[in-house]
Amino acid sequence: MWIVLIPLLPALAFAVMVPMSRRARTAARWLPLAAMSGSLLLSFAAFAKTWPGGAQEPVWRASTLLTTLGGAPLSVGMRLDPVTAVMLLVVTVVGVCVQVYSLGYMHRDARQGWYFAVLALFSAAMLLLVLAGDFLLLYMSWEVMGLCSYLLIGFWHEQDAPRRASIKAFLTTRVGDVGFAIGLAAMWSYAHSFDFTVVLQNTAWTVGAATLVSLGLLAGAMGKSAQVPLHVWLPDAMAGPTPASALIHAATMVAAGVYLVARALPLFHAAAPWVLVFVMFVGASTSAVGGILAMVQYDIKKVLAYSTISQLGYMFIALGAGSEVAALFHLTTHAFFKSLLFLGAGVIIHATHTQDIREMGGLGKTMPWTTGTFLFGALALSGVFPFSGFWSKDDILMTLWTQGTWYSLATLVVALVVAAITAFYMTRVAIRVFAGRACSLARETHLDMIVPMAVLAGITAVIGFASPAFAGFLGEVKGWPDLGMAIVGSLAATAGIGVGVWIYAFGGVDTQELRRRFPRVTAVVDNGFYFDLTYNRGLVAAFGWLAGVLARFDTSAIDGVVNGAARAWSASSRAMWEFDGSVVDGAVNGVGALVKRAGDRMRTMQAGRVQGYQRLGYAGLLAMITLAVLVPYIGVAAASGLALVALIVVGAIVVRGA
Amino acid sequence: MTVGPTAFMALAGVLFCIGLFGALTKKSAVMVLMSLELMTNAVNLNLVAISRFMTPASMAGQFAAAFNIVVAAAEIGLGLALVLALYRLRKTVELDRIDRLKG
Amino acid sequence: MPDSVAVVPFVILAALAVGGGAMMVLTRNVVHAAFWLLEVMMAVAGLFMLLSAGFLALIQMMVYAGAVSVLVLFTVMLTLRRREDAERSLDLSWSAGLIALGVFVAVGAAIASFVPPAVVAPAVTPGVAEFGRALFTERALPFEIASVVLLIALVGAVWWAGGDDR
Repeated sequence: MWIVLIPLLPALAFAVMVPMSRRARTAARWLPLAAMSGSLLLSFAAFAKTWPGGAQEPVWRASTLLTTLGGAPLSVGMRLDPVTAVMLLVVTVVGVCVQVYSLGYMHRDARQGWYFAVLALFSAAMLLLVLAGDFLLLYMSWEVMGLCSYLLIGFWHEQDAPRRASIKAFLTTRVGDVGFAIGLAAMWSYAHSFDFTVVLQNTAWTVGAATLVSLGLLAGAMGKSAQVPLHVWLPDAMAGPTPASALIHAATMVAAGVYLVARALPLFHAAAPWVLVFVMFVGASTSAVGGILAMVQYDIKKVLAYSTISQLGYMFIALGAGSEVAALFHLTTHAFFKSLLFLGAGVIIHATHTQDIREMGGLGKTMPWTTGTFLFGALALSGVFPFSGFWSKDDILMTLWTQGTWYSLATLVVALVVAAITAFYMTRVAIRVFAGRACSLARETHLDMIVPMAVLAGITAVIGFASPAFAGFLGEVKGWPDLGMAIVGSLAATAGIGVGVWIYAFGGVDTQELRRRFPRVTAVVDNGFYFDLTYNRGLVAAFGWLAGVLARFDTSAIDGVVNGAARAWSASSRAMWEFDGSVVDGAVNGVGALVKRAGDRMRTMQAGRVQGYQRLGYAGLLAMITLAVLVPYIGVAAASGLALVALIVVGAIVVRGA
Repeated sequence: MTVGPTAFMALAGVLFCIGLFGALTKKSAVMVLMSLELMTNAVNLNLVAISRFMTPASMAGQFAAAFNIVVAAAEIGLGLALVLALYRLRKTVELDRIDRLKG
Repeated sequence: MPDSVAVVPFVILAALAVGGGAMMVLTRNVVHAAFWLLEVMMAVAGLFMLLSAGFLALIQMMVYAGAVSVLVLFTVMLTLRRREDAERSLDLSWSAGLIALGVFVAVGAAIASFVPPAVVAPAVTPGVAEFGRALFTERALPFEIASVVLLIALVGAVWWAGGDDR
């Protein structure tokens, strides 16, 4: 039962901190760190309990019955199996590092206590997510994470950009989550269970049902993991505090989508074959879009954000190829090196007081520790031997190669190009930031922020060698990487680095000149392939238009209709005036005035008076009661007609009375 | 001659509807709160009466009514405090002058 | 414990309650309305007595007749600047009347279709002692929760009604 404590400790830290005053919360900011450290130790114990792994069956499970739904028991439960054990370690290690780092990073912020509390809640939700033994609990913690993400992106909510970014993130992921919820409903109606074992192993899925459910889950995963076309929130999410970006928007939460699909992969195999191809296509396009956009960003955090999108696309490629081991291994390595990069970026931003890499330079001399650790992360991300990224990328490339279908080979080409692009933009960032003219203001940061980065850098350097052990632990036999693929992958990385060095260190190409010469390409990449613009023009504008129409209808359209009617009538009456003078004219004006008065009255429905709303509410209640009472006697259509008439009558009287 | 639960229910219904009428019409926030109290009282009467005739031994309705009185007392206290705060802010307790919700 | 109650006290108390409620809604003076509300409360307390709910009648008197009426009168006093402000328009409205009537028709229809089940009345009427025993044993948790609710409401009321200097 002690496994329950792993998510419970940070949750308790959050619960303790919520009712505190701002000052007390600031004083208690070490509390989440203590809780996370406890979770870390327990995660090691859970790992040991799972050792040596290999089996798919959970080594521990617990569930509690909530209710029975349509005759089937609805229970939520937790389980511990090798995948969970690995994810627990990833989350707690990165979480503790980020907590330690945040103590230094946030120490001047007046509201830092709230930041730490939300970070604790987030950790609890993420740990619960990986421990969940069924899709329902997973979905619940998934949504709690979404809430924390929203709160942390909008942490500096007194500024405009974080506030907008938080709402954007919330709404965009919501689009995917609707798909998730539909998928869950379909899952329940077919399998009558949410339990992993029941759903994934003991249910004989038909192709159609499995397709529906897996597409729903995929939609949720695409929203959470920022896959094209739902990736637009992640770059904006960088408005939040950098350590939060490191934990949530690089290492853990955005990887939850990958985790979900990896968990549900048997379902994807049962679905129509094109579903997995679609997953691969989504991953390939995401990695390409993310990589290309990362090349042209000047904001260091945006580079890393697009890079995260690109790497998540990589994981989806692996999932599409049907290898959850490769995807999860890349998830693991990526969590370490990308959070390392974000932490480094945070230090750099603090030191230089800018996020624009054009205004940085020469930090290599003044900030040796930050430079060293950041370069570790950059090399890992670029896929350079022996850093961790090399191994996990190689896994994915090899999976694609062994699958051998035409689309997997096409994806392999895309993946290699993206690998080169990745190496290129990391070289660009590294040279711009660390080389060149020294920036006099920058100074090395304190030890409490260096240590977490050093820890992550150490892990990044060595964890790649665990590749076969990792696969074995998850129950797949895999040897050391194939030499040919390793050479091809390394060549791609080397090519990217070489081009980067040539352009940015030796000035081989004037990038501004390039921008000038290809204005159209520049416009496309500067606008992020027009995703945001399309959404704004299409969806947001459509909703805005609809809202505007309704608002006009509310305030002026009725008046307009009235006036228009009156004017039309009076125009025609003026024509008829010559025939029968004032009789018709009077009638017309009477009608016009009547309708105009009705319009004025209707306007008062929106007068903002609470009793008017109260009356309408009661009128609606009465209409519903009428409906409920009358339906058995006279049928749905007649009863709803009557109820509507009653509602209109009462509403009209309400308007008159108001 | 005696009466059963139906008479009490009808009485409670009448009281409730009088209170509802007051809550819907009165322009003074204090009057609205008083009408709400009348509605609460009608509910309490109903609870006690039904409990008296249906489950006389367990007194379930009496407990519900007691807690309802607690909630109603809290509500009227908060409501009147709000009215006072509103009065300080807007110098009026007329509900039809308070139309910040206007769309 | 008899299975029904005497009709004469019921009719008297019911008339007092309904009449007081109607007067409360129909009077022009807010202070008068507060006193009519007080009268309704006391009539309801009498009805509680009639229903052998002595303890409830007691707290009805103490909470409503005692505390709430005073609170209402104080609020009226604090929000009226002149004596004449207590006189108000009647604010009658057709739509509200129609809605209240509709609710009453719905409730009346439900009551009309209600058939009281046969219940065996206990030999002894449970009194205040039984009520108190149950309140502190099997219903202790809701009792404590109610006290917390009251405390929070107290703090909230002080906060809202408190001075301008925050």
